[in-house]
Amino acid sequence: MITGQDIDRRTFMKLGGTALAAGLVPALEAEPRPAGEAPYPVKWYPFTGHPDSDTCWSLSVGPDGRIYAAACAESVPGGVVKPVRYNEERDDLDYLFDLAEMVDDPGTSGRATQCKIHYSFAPSMHDGVLYMATHLSGPPIDLPRYSPWYSWHDAKRCFRGSALLAFDTRNDRVLWWDTLIPKEGCRCLLHDEERGLLYAMSYPRDHFIIYDLHTRKGRDIGRISSINPQALFLDKQHRVWTSGDYGRLVRYTPDTDRLEISPGLLAHDVNYQTGWHSVFYDVAPSPDRECVYASTWCPNPHLMRIWPNEGEWPRVEDLGPATQPRDPTFPIDMFTDHCGGLTFAGDGKLYYVASRWRDPKYNPMPGTGKQLQGVVWRLDSQTLAREEVTQLKHPTGVANYVSRGAVDHNGDLFFGHVGNHPSGIFKVSMPAERKKKNAHLPIRMWG
Amino acid sequence: MQTKGRFDPNSPAIKAYEQELAHQFVREGTMVAFPMCLPGMTTQITHDECRITALDINSDGHIYGGTSGRQAHLFAAAFHDLTGVVLDVGVVPDGTNSVAVCCGRSRAVAFVNGARGGRAIAIPKIDLAQDWIQEWGLDPSILQDLGECVPGEPVVHAICDASRSTVIGITTGHLFTMDAESGNVTVIGEVSGRGHLAMSSSAVFGQDEGARLWHFDLASGKIRRAAVDLPKGEWTGALRWARGGDPDQLLTADASGQLFSFDGNKGFRLLGRAHLAPVGPMAMIPDGRLFGFCGAEMANLFCCDTIPGNVSNLGVAASVLEQRRYGYQFGDAVTGPDGEIVFGEDDNDGHLWLYFPKIKRVPRTPV
Repeated sequence: MITGQDIDRRTFMKLGGTALAAGLVPALEAEPRPAGEAPYPVKWYPFTGHPDSDTCWSLSVGPDGRIYAAACAESVPGGVVKPVRYNEERDDLDYLFDLAEMVDDPGTSGRATQCKIHYSFAPSMHDGVLYMATHLSGPPIDLPRYSPWYSWHDAKRCFRGSALLAFDTRNDRVLWWDTLIPKEGCRCLLHDEERGLLYAMSYPRDHFIIYDLHTRKGRDIGRISSINPQALFLDKQHRVWTSGDYGRLVRYTPDTDRLEISPGLLAHDVNYQTGWHSVFYDVAPSPDRECVYASTWCPNPHLMRIWPNEGEWPRVEDLGPATQPRDPTFPIDMFTDHCGGLTFAGDGKLYYVASRWRDPKYNPMPGTGKQLQGVVWRLDSQTLAREEVTQLKHPTGVANYVSRGAVDHNGDLFFGHVGNHPSGIFKVSMPAERKKKNAHLPIRMWG
Repeated sequence: MQTKGRFDPNSPAIKAYEQELAHQFVREGTMVAFPMCLPGMTTQITHDECRITALDINSDGHIYGGTSGRQAHLFAAAFHDLTGVVLDVGVVPDGTNSVAVCCGRSRAVAFVNGARGGRAIAIPKIDLAQDWIQEWGLDPSILQDLGECVPGEPVVHAICDASRSTVIGITTGHLFTMDAESGNVTVIGEVSGRGHLAMSSSAVFGQDEGARLWHFDLASGKIRRAAVDLPKGEWTGALRWARGGDPDQLLTADASGQLFSFDGNKGFRLLGRAHLAPVGPMAMIPDGRLFGFCGAEMANLFCCDTIPGNVSNLGVAASVLEQRRYGYQFGDAVTGPDGEIVFGEDDNDGHLWLYFPKIKRVPRTPV
């Protein structure tokens, strides 16, 4: 691990002194783990049962404590999504069903397809149901690409709408389905189980949607912005939070039935960014539900800790950049500079995956390693110190873009990954001393 | 089963489709979404109180407008010289829906519906001609509530006469006039209060029952019901109008998207059809091109060149200057002093969208 003395002043100014003081040094090449430290073995599970699959945007723990993931096929004309589940007895994946067939919208429809589930698994603990909502982008079977803007008014081509499906994990049955958002995809989904409400963000219009599970009726609360936030979260007062284009919190309060925008900004690099595009990428609740940890969908993503139950507007703590320094004069590829997969594990620590890449000036890693790496970090929420525990390894491809992470009922870590074909998930086995049964509880209620 | 694309990627149809997708946003000209504030200096109008539904422009080229939403705001804006500013003049108490703003000679009058009925609100003329780059100064302005226009009836629309001294408005059941300076209202008589009003050089037209227009003669103060038959078309929706290039030319659309020019003396002329319906706000620029939005939920910009009479689809609105934003729904439009069009975005966090049309190529003869 490098120290403050090892980096130049420019790097220090980029990071800010507090980040260094907290041990939040940039994700430069870490030194090898000292012998004797707990290993975190990594295994890759490709979606070979769905070879069209090119992305895995959703990975969540189900109400049964098992891991569910979405084998999405968005670049293939006519491609469809198949939910999968990690089978711990076989140490392999079970392919549950073809979701498009299940909702009577097959890939051969000629419309944009039910190609993916995008951060939209949401558990229901009282009845063992896992809700899932589909997203768009997969082209019709006879077209190379799909644009929801271009085809909005085209009855033949337009996406039918985000399909909401209730899957009973106790007996592997699809109980029912409905159209959650006509013509639009669902970017992210949340379940307020006490109130029987699902919350969603639509794409492309970026509307905030509420679906009542009792009446099976949806309601459109209105537009938020242009850049889709990639996560919603819930607080103790049943308020639902997300973010807008310019890095502000957006809060829906059921009592007032109103969306409100925070005066303050989410964390970003104040040296050259304005807050624009600092929308949530991933948000994980702390085990005590007093705060959440979040990363942004923005180059140079920052980690944050947000206290939604405090004050008129929450206290937002900037925990510093999640990835390495880089040249800010060039807009880096957003699939290179990325942080996702935030989840607490049985040891009470926050785990997440941040990308790391070779950069001749800012991170001259040895030439033997891969150009792009997916580094699994472990953050101590008390001291805010973080340590690199392992790297994700794909046998031949990349491993740097993790969409979501979760811990299963055995206490092991799983990460969904985007960037390989077929796509798949990683399992990171937790060291025995850091592992706990039912580590997924209390369960995260959003995708 | 692995799915395969059933198409030939080299076919002309697929190549044409790819070309269409590559130009699905603002195919001509430039759009700039301007936030409802002095950028970097004041806060924007609250997002759910900022659906811009009414605009007008005064003789200085300054824009006055009103919003709809949880609370209606009235605002003033300017984009020329050293301006580049939107000022939130204030909230209309209990107002939720701005239906019209009319720029008079010394002030603007807004018409706002809400819990206290359809009211007229005077906006004082605001000194926008300042140096908004470096140093500015003005006191907050006070809105003046001029009262309900017709008791118990929401206002549907209103426009100013050519002299900017008289406002002509309709409620759901009546036609009224208002002296823009004094605010005095005169109820003229009963009309069908539907759709927007249109002003030619001497008369006002409004949508009557059936496929007809009523006519109001400003000089005599007389309403003539069912005065003009609308041409063959679908006249089920509320009419919207734009002013044409000469004082007697007006432009409108039917519910199917057919575009017409109308002259009180010459009648209607079909110009073409927008590719989507309904047709929303439109405005004509001095060279005879009419720009507007068509289609619900996700509107497309269209251009109707009224001289040859062709209509083209200019795609979905998007701004990459000043603010990066998609634009889906628009409430009103005015033509600016230099032929730019200002569209009011009728959506949460609505912006004023300045549209600078593509300059037409003019054949030049060497001297």
